[in-house]
Amino acid sequence: MNPDDLRYHKEHTWVRAAGKKATIGITDYAQEALGDIVYIDLPEVDTDIEPNSEIGEIESTKATSSIISPISGKVIEVNEDLSESPEIINEDPYGKGWIAVIEIDDASEIDDLMDSSEYAKYVEEEAK
Amino acid sequence: MKLAILGAGPGGYVAAIKAAQLGAQVTVIEENEVGGVCLNWGCIPTKVLVASADFLARTRKSEEFGIEIKGDITPNFAKIIERKNKIVNTQIKGIRNLLKKWEITLQQGRGVLTSPHEITVTSRDGSIEKTESDKIIIATGSSPFQLPNLPFDGKRILSSDDAIALKEIPKSIIIVGAGVIGCEFACIFRNLGAEVTLIEMLPRAVATEDFEISDILERELRKKKIRLLVNVKAEKADIRDEGVHIFLNDGKEIAADKVLVSVGRIFNSNGIGIEETGIQKGVRGEISVNEKMETNIPGIYAIGDVAGGLMLAHVASSEGITAATNLMGGNERIDYDSVPSAIYTSPEIASVGLREQRAAEKGIKVRTGHFQFRMLAKAHAIGEIEGLLKIVSDEQSDRVLGVHIIGPHASDLIHEGALAVRLGLKTKDIAGTIHAHPTLAEGLMEAAEDVHNEAIHVPRK
Repeated sequence: MNPDDLRYHKEHTWVRAAGKKATIGITDYAQEALGDIVYIDLPEVDTDIEPNSEIGEIESTKATSSIISPISGKVIEVNEDLSESPEIINEDPYGKGWIAVIEIDDASEIDDLMDSSEYAKYVEEEAK
Repeated sequence: MKLAILGAGPGGYVAAIKAAQLGAQVTVIEENEVGGVCLNWGCIPTKVLVASADFLARTRKSEEFGIEIKGDITPNFAKIIERKNKIVNTQIKGIRNLLKKWEITLQQGRGVLTSPHEITVTSRDGSIEKTESDKIIIATGSSPFQLPNLPFDGKRILSSDDAIALKEIPKSIIIVGAGVIGCEFACIFRNLGAEVTLIEMLPRAVATEDFEISDILERELRKKKIRLLVNVKAEKADIRDEGVHIFLNDGKEIAADKVLVSVGRIFNSNGIGIEETGIQKGVRGEISVNEKMETNIPGIYAIGDVAGGLMLAHVASSEGITAATNLMGGNERIDYDSVPSAIYTSPEIASVGLREQRAAEKGIKVRTGHFQFRMLAKAHAIGEIEGLLKIVSDEQSDRVLGVHIIGPHASDLIHEGALAVRLGLKTKDIAGTIHAHPTLAEGLMEAAEDVHNEAIHVPRK
């Protein structure tokens, strides 16, 4: 259920690399845990992101939560559709619910992240 | 005892009633209308505007509540202002009646101290009268501060006084200064449909609040699509037919129909005979007073904004009561550490006591407890889930040092915090007090529990 072509960060974000660019978002587990998402504070284009840093905030009807970027780099695009319809993240966290596209700083950061089976185990542990 | 009070704002008129209750023969001198800035241009008029703006914002999401409204929903600013005037007038009558019942003389005109026992009053028709008294309270308040490079013209560049007397809602407005007044007007105009840009020279909006609270306000401003520019100053204005252009010190240029300048207030301490009477002023131009609210001249007191303390109506009233009590032989002083304050943004902000970011510089080790409004069923029922309740407590003694709230009814919820700070209560005292369910006030109990990680409705950490 977590796509195999993605890499996963322990703060429940994912990254899909394509050449020098990477798309990021939050995982299905994260959206499920948050519940109905009502607002997302998106990063601004051109922001430089440090490793493991907060790039925005997500509000659901039950919680507010930081979005931790899985990798460092520069934000080159954000998903503006989410400003009006943040619930897209609940509906399609790995597709239409993508959050931002980042210009990759250091590709090795992606290798250090979990693959889908490692992430599945990690989530299982966390849920205990 | 004959007492003369210069100014009938929330400081002066309250002092008058208190002194009359204690047996003084009181004359209050007022140039404008009783109630001062608070009632005529400040707290009350803006709250009437906030009520209409919030009503509109709520009505626009009526479908969320299962209410279908057919047809357009549009604000009529002239009627909003009419309602404001009606409410203000009712309150003015109320104060005038109170003064009458206590046999307080209200003298209308501009008063100037001509000796420590005499105020010369010039009325509108030019007639001059002298009021003699044993003691005097100066309660002349404050006025909007004017930036030399953005002088008020009342038409395009507005003070807050001008903003509450507008004939229509501006299409767009630039608000210079994202403090209390600026942020309140930003929310009012935005909720009424204007495009709003707030500019602030400090790094954040409402910078005197706890930073976690101002962070959330900034997010709420973004949600409303209010543009907030921080770390920036307005250098000059160019008034053109199509709008006012503001040139910023970072080289940018922004434009809007109107500009509201809300960068603070100045003391009304000039031209009222302060220097001539030998009353000392502080470096900022405020009238210097001691803990009893008395100036360096025995028998002359100063209260409220002009005395340079916290510029809040309720502080002025409290200082008025203190001054009146003391000049009648009492020995009162004010505890400024437990003064609550409220900001009527949407959502509201209210706070009392220590801000977390100030704890370190004061060398105080603190704990904090947090609780989000969205965890409360009541907040969901009323459809206002945004916001946070936060408690700052002393690490050692567990005493509540500060309470900070952003969210629905924050201005009403803060007083439990004010009581706790004033009486030195512990977070355990708040946590151990049963709070009615379902209420918003439960949030403070949970925040108190959260100080020790004992909140029931906070996910396990």
